[in-house]
Amino acid sequence: AMASSGPQNPSQIMPLELVDKCIGSKIHIKMKGDKELVGTLLGFDPYVNMVLEDVVVYEISSQGKKVTRLEQILLNGNNIALMIPGGEGPDN
Amino acid sequence: PGDGPNPGGGGAKPGGKPGGKPGGKGDAQSEKKHKETIIDLSKHMDKPIRVKFAGGRECSGILKGYDPLLNLVLDATTEYLRDPEDSSKLTGETRQIGLTLCRGPAVMLICPADTLEPIANPFVPQD
Repeated sequence: AMASSGPQNPSQIMPLELVDKCIGSKIHIKMKGDKELVGTLLGFDPYVNMVLEDVVVYEISSQGKKVTRLEQILLNGNNIALMIPGGEGPDN
Repeated sequence: PGDGPNPGGGGAKPGGKPGGKPGGKGDAQSEKKHKETIIDLSKHMDKPIRVKFAGGRECSGILKGYDPLLNLVLDATTEYLRDPEDSSKLTGETRQIGLTLCRGPAVMLICPADTLEPIANPFVPQD
């Protein structure tokens, strides 16, 4: 589902279209805090809550990175700051 | 009676007027207040901008797209890394992360990338 948008400049990239193109591919998500996730994007909603598969969660602190793996998750979009389509994670 | 956080029952209007009646005057007012961004991002298209996020993250990149909710598409994005011990301090290290999407709800500041510079702390008394 595409969010409605205002006046469109044909030579610009609409943000939610970029997310839509990423469905089926890897995406690297940085939360507002020090948590990052990499997973395959299965889908999202107008609030950019996301369904991800084969997820690796990185919790980054002064003590280093804590890594967890999850098969399939619904990620609450409230705390997402940055998204990198095709991103591989904080180790690259 | 009926005094509460959302009087008038119509849940759709953000910030409902206290004591406002559904329909009539209430609707005319909400039509005038159609939400508009206070920054015109078309002026910054294809130019480098700096973005700060709620939570302390900072990045910069070339603005390639945006929407009314302030979601941004940045190209050639540079992330500015912070000190793991003190997240308000930038280490000076950066990471190139390519084409990114910045979530509107998390965006706290947008400015042209070349107009940001560090200054001496104006709050420290100069003896």
